[in-house]
This record gives sequence, structure tokens and C-alpha cells, in this order.
Amino acid sequence: MSVDTTEPTAEAATKRRRFVIPERFFTLQSYVALILVFLAAIVFSPRRGGEIVFLNSENLLNIVRAVSEIGILAIGMTFVILIAGIDLSVGAILGLAATGTASLLMVHDFGVAMTILIILTIGLAFGATQGYLSARLGIQAFIVTLAGLQVARGLARIWSGGQGIALAYGDGADVAPRAFSLLNSRTFNGTVPIPALIFAGVGVIALIVVRKSVFARHVYAIGGNERAARLSGIPVTRVKVTVFAISGLLAALAGIIHAGQLNQGSPNDGMGYELDAIAAVVIGGTSLMGGVGTVSGTLAGALLLGILNNILALNNIDSNVQLLIKGVIIVAAAGIQAFRSQQK
Amino acid sequence: MLAPLLQMRGIVKHFGGVHALRGVDLTVGAGEVHALLGENGAGKSTLMNVLSGVVRPDAGAIEIDGEPVAFATPADAQAAGVAMIHQELDLVPQATVTENLFLGREPRTRFRTLDRAAMRGHARELLDDIGIDLSPARTLSSLRVGEQQMVAIAKALSLEARILVMDEPTSALSDSEVERLFAIIPRLRRRGVGVVFISHRMDEIAVIADRGTVMRDGRNAGTFVVAETAPAEVIRMMVGQPIEQLFPDREPPREAVRLGVRGLTVAEHPGGGRTEPRDVDLEVRAGEVVGLAGLLGAGRTELLDALFGLAGHRLAGTVELDGAPVRLASPRDAIAAGIGYVPEDRRVSGLVMMESVAANIVLSALPTLARAGWRRASRERSAVAASIRDLHIKTASAESAVGTLSGGNQQKVVFARHLLREPRLLLLDDPTRGVDIGAKSEIYRLLAGLAAGGMAVLVASSELPELLGICDRVAVLRGGRIVTVLDGRTATQEAILAAASLEQHTTVEAG
Repeated sequence: MSVDTTEPTAEAATKRRRFVIPERFFTLQSYVALILVFLAAIVFSPRRGGEIVFLNSENLLNIVRAVSEIGILAIGMTFVILIAGIDLSVGAILGLAATGTASLLMVHDFGVAMTILIILTIGLAFGATQGYLSARLGIQAFIVTLAGLQVARGLARIWSGGQGIALAYGDGADVAPRAFSLLNSRTFNGTVPIPALIFAGVGVIALIVVRKSVFARHVYAIGGNERAARLSGIPVTRVKVTVFAISGLLAALAGIIHAGQLNQGSPNDGMGYELDAIAAVVIGGTSLMGGVGTVSGTLAGALLLGILNNILALNNIDSNVQLLIKGVIIVAAAGIQAFRSQQK
Repeated sequence: MLAPLLQMRGIVKHFGGVHALRGVDLTVGAGEVHALLGENGAGKSTLMNVLSGVVRPDAGAIEIDGEPVAFATPADAQAAGVAMIHQELDLVPQATVTENLFLGREPRTRFRTLDRAAMRGHARELLDDIGIDLSPARTLSSLRVGEQQMVAIAKALSLEARILVMDEPTSALSDSEVERLFAIIPRLRRRGVGVVFISHRMDEIAVIADRGTVMRDGRNAGTFVVAETAPAEVIRMMVGQPIEQLFPDREPPREAVRLGVRGLTVAEHPGGGRTEPRDVDLEVRAGEVVGLAGLLGAGRTELLDALFGLAGHRLAGTVELDGAPVRLASPRDAIAAGIGYVPEDRRVSGLVMMESVAANIVLSALPTLARAGWRRASRERSAVAASIRDLHIKTASAESAVGTLSGGNQQKVVFARHLLREPRLLLLDDPTRGVDIGAKSEIYRLLAGLAAGGMAVLVASSELPELLGICDRVAVLRGGRIVTVLDGRTATQEAILAAASLEQHTTVEAG
């Protein structure tokens, strides 16, 4: 395009201004994207007898059930990324927790409550240890949790002898208590899947914590300016350890749900889940540099991924194509964020 | 008459609804050092961003040697001979001086490999040209800030820069480094380079500049010839109305000793490079303002850091508050004991830039305002509102990003954060660096008010008139030790400087 060079610069300035995207859009980015994907899903949904299959309430609830594990991991991951960290171990902790759950129920004949307590404690301790190594010894979270990933997978394989453990329900020894199969059921007259309910519960708690707790303010401050946070008397090490402990705890919770949904626990469960969780957080608009982001954005990001998987599956589209589309969406989300910081 | 080297006329720039520049003129002749003054937010940076092609003006004209120019990018401005030496230098810290000088335009040999010999030779020439005595083989990060700045200047000149913009070049320099920087300025003059020198410091402008332009609220507030204008007149142009009295009247301190330090010594940090406190004895009484003077590297910041728990377990000696010994293993301990700290660099150590004014103000006080770890919004709101009112923090709203505030108001946010914890002892490290004269006066008044209320204040500063204006006593540091304590009413700048800089050549030589 030719440009008249004698034109005053004011013209150029108005031209530039036209491309400025209002800041409000960026804060709502993930919701806008979620709505767009939702609308697209309606358009592309197969129809059965005039009914839009995608909008069927059972299908919608199924989406929430399907993303419940990734969603729970992503909530923990949000706090980790807010302090400019990363947790690569969550998928492996999920595998360890699923294996441990199946083993405790089937092999060791523990009760449901005891099993859940032990597994959650393991996840919490695993996360806290990683947090301590990262915060106190100053090893980068990427490295610590990369090592943690290996350790958790190794522990799971040692625990089960490398085999998956199938769950059989019944009374007496060598079977799991029937109560555990609740995780694979639905409540409210058989409508709402239990995992979806747990995911929603964790989401609501996380939203309240972010809005109302001192802890969350400390998380944001550490991610935004760690030195300023320390000089303001914030217990930086303690907050960081807590954040990783939460991530580990939620990963263990997701592992228990995983075992319940699949009626088994295997050391290979949850492979690559950490990447989906990170994807949900990034799509949700949280900055990998720390200090900026929301849990609600992460929830939107997780649901977006779930709808995407669902609509592609409804149309019988190859799961490898799903990977491709996911990649494009992540780059788009990150690209919009990059554009945002350039505009400032 | 020849056209001036640089002429900017009627420059206008809006940002959204904000009128940053409302028709500003600036004329700089060849070989002239032109000071650019104004309070923070007056539009100096925007004007320089227009000149260096970072920001496009909405209206106005720029001429170089009488030829109209328009810069769409910084590269355009550079090609036209405009170079900017930023406060944050655009150099690679890990690379050598030579590598930095030729970054992106390295000489090649016939085989397209780096011609290191040519680079070395050229680098030496460039540095000699403006009289910089430095080995070009040194890594940039091993140089002092002032030396790094000179490398940046050498680089700019090697790019045929004819207009050099220096944005507060002395703010991070020690006095001796400032002298070295000023020593190369005559060479720039002889080469016909026009220098735009942004500074808050009247004494430097008097030494170095020929003329000056004062900006206020995005407009020209006046242009003056330095040799013919009194500093008071310049300050009047900057603030619009005269400040009757920069330093407030003080009440005498009370009798009770608030801070008692005995034999405070901090072991060297493994990383080194700091002048840690050595055998420091110091008392600050309630209601007293004590100053810490000393050259750069004398250990002022390190002493304040130690008193705020930043030295951790390397600290030895006793520190007492109101007669009771305090544990100072971390800033948390210090805050719990009733110590507040306004650190040196508010961007690095003070503020969470992406967060709101309110979030930054309550950061320290969150646990005390909350109930069992859950925040109470109404208490936070009223605390923030009270802080903004009491400290006259100028902000559009409590929810504005703190980065949108002027330097002085950002500093007041850091103040407000610590005052919310109602400290008994307030530590301040160069609290007025980079803030304009109006905010300075407000900060002095604030300190006087806090002291009158019984708070003990320990303030480090590199500006001697400031220390003499606000302190009851001034402790002079050298090499981490307190060499003398002077009475603030009778001490002179000369006395402080003499104590601070009396170098013990004999011992150094012997060692």
C-alpha cells in the first residue's frame, strides 16, 4: 500500500488507534472464547430427531464430568503459575494416587475414608516437598517438578509392580467397598455425575479463596514482585510451599476420582495431563510470568477444552485432529496475551 | 544564522483522554548541553519518546539541521542521529565492552567469521575518543553503573549520534562517577553533539548545562540560560507557585531511646560485593530523625537492610527497641517488632506494579485487617481511603494500577503500606530519589509529622542538603563503619563530605 509521506502524523495516530483493543476484552478473553466455542459447538452439533445433541443436558453434564480431573489439576496449577512457578508433576501424582487408591482398596483392604485420607496426605506431602525444595533451596520449579514427575511415576510402578490394578466391588476381602463406586455414579435422581459435582465444589472453594483470603493476596504479590512481597513481611517460603502442597493435594484428589471413574488404577494413568492443565490455565488468561490471572478464567479454559473434545467426538473426528486444534487454540490464547502486553 | 541542530515545535500527544503534551517547543544547538526539567508527569519522557521515535506525535514538527523529519520507529530516529541513553541501559550485561559496542554490526573477516582483532582495535579507539579509561575486554556486568553508561555513550557516538538524550544519567552514580561522566561532556561539545540532559538536580544542571527548558503539565513553562538564572527561579517555573519552605520546622526529639544498636556487624554475604556494617553503635530516640550519610558503597543500604532483618543469620551484635532486644532474622520479624522500611528502589523492592493502589497499600497490613485469614473488604477499603487522604496520594481511584501514578505518589504508596502497620521505627533509603520537588517537600513534611508523633526515623540519603534539612543528627558511614555523628543543625555539607571521603590511603597502600 502506498502512503502519502506528506500526510501529517495525526492521521497515522488515528489509524493506529483503530487497532487498539479495549483492555476489558483481555480480562474477559477466556469467557469470550468459551462462548464462541459453545456457539460453534451448537452449530456443528449433530442433530437427532430435530434435537441438538450437544445441548442435551446429559451431554452437557458429561462434558463437566469429562473435564473434572483436568479441571481440578488446573485449579491447583493456577496458584502455582500465579507465583511464576510450574508444576509438571500433577499428571504423575494423579497416576500415583490412582494406583495407590486401587492398591489400598483391593490389596490392603482399607476402608474408603481411610484410603482417601492416606492418598490425599501423600499428594499433599509430595507437593509440599517439591515446594520446599523449590522455595527454600532455590531450585527452579520446572526442574524440581520434572524430577517429581519421574519420582511419582517410579513410586507408582514400584507400588503396583508395574501393573494396573482393577477395582472389583463387593463385601469382604480382596474387593473394594461398594461405597467407592459412588464416584462412578450420578446424584440428583441420576442426573449429575459425582466427579462433576466435586469439580464444581473445588472450583467454588477456589473462587472464594481467591476473592476473600489473605493467602491469595500473598500469592498474587509474590508472583508480581517477590522482593516487594518479602519486604512487606509476607512469609514467602511458607506461601510457596502451601501453593505446591495445594497442587499436590488436588492432583491426588483427581487421582482418586480417576480410579473411581475407570474402576482401576494404573501407574501410567494421567500421562500428559499436566500439559492439559497448563493449557487450561493459559487459555484462561493467566500469565506464566506470574502475578496475573484468575481461577474463573481457568475454569472457563478447562470447560472450553472439554467442549472442544466433546464436539469433535460427537462428530466422530479423529482424536489426533483434536490435538491439532488444541494446539492452535493455546497459541491463539497466548498470542492475544502477548498482544496485550505489547499494547501497554 | 545557521538552523539549530534540533528544533521541535508544537508537539502534541494524547494518550486516550490524557493530554500528555499540549504543544511543546524545544530547541537545541550544536555543542549545547540543554537541561530538560519538570516534575514527574510534566511530559519530559513523552517528549523524549517522540524525539527518539518510540511515540508518534499527534501534531507538531521536528527539524534536524532545518530539515523536517518524521520518525515512525526508533530505528528511524537512530538513522537521523538521535540516540537515547536510558536509565535502564540497552546493553547486554553478560557480554564484553567490545561485544556490546559492536552488537549487531560486528566486523567480519573474509571468511564471514568474527573479526575479533578489528573489533578490539576499534573498541579501543572509540573509548579513547571520548576519554574513557576502561579495558574493552571487561564484561559489562563487572563495570560500575557509571562506566556502563559511558560505554552506552561511546556506542551511541559510534553510531554517528548527533543528538544525545540522557535520562537522569547521574541518578545511580557516586560523586566520583558523576565527575568522570561530566569530564567527557566537553569532548561531546567539541564534536558538535547536542545533549539533552534530563535531571532533577539543580546543582548538576548548574555545572553542566548551557540552557534549560522547563516543562509543566505538558507545556513549556520557560526556557532559561543557566548562567543567568537562580535555582529558585527554575524551581518556581517547575512548580508553578513558589515553595515557601522546602524543609519543615521540626519539634525537638524526646528523651526515650527508641532504637539502640550495639556492635552490629554483618558477615560477608557469600556473593560479596556489598559493604556490610562493621561494629556499628547507633541510637535513635523517639521523635528523632537521624540521617545516614556516606558515599555510594559506604554501606548505608546494607545497614538499613540489616536493621530490617534482611541480613538474616549473618547479623551479630544487639539491636534493642524501647530497651527490649529484638530478633531480626527476617523482614517478618522486623515488621512484627514494629519496624517499617521504605526501600531504595520502589520499582524493584517496593511495588507490585500490575496491582492496584489499594492492593499495594494494604499488602503488609492484610493479616491485621483480616479475621482468621479471611479478608474484610470494608476494613481494607477504609484503611486505603484514609491512607490516600492522609498522604495526599494523587490517583484516579484506589483501584487504578499503581504503575499509572507519578514517582512521588508511588513512593507515598510504599510509605502508606508501612504506616498502616503503625511502626515505632521507620527506615528509609533515599526516599526522594526520582521524585519531583513538590513531592519531596510533601515527604519532608510527612517525616516531620511522624517524628512529632513520636516515631523514630532513620533515613539514608545521597542528597546532603536533604539530610541537613530534615535530620536532628547525621551519622556518616565509611566502609560499613560509622565514622562520626554530626549535629544536624550545625553540620555543613563540607563536614559530612570530609568525613565520608577521607580515604585512608596509608592503610590501603600497606595492605
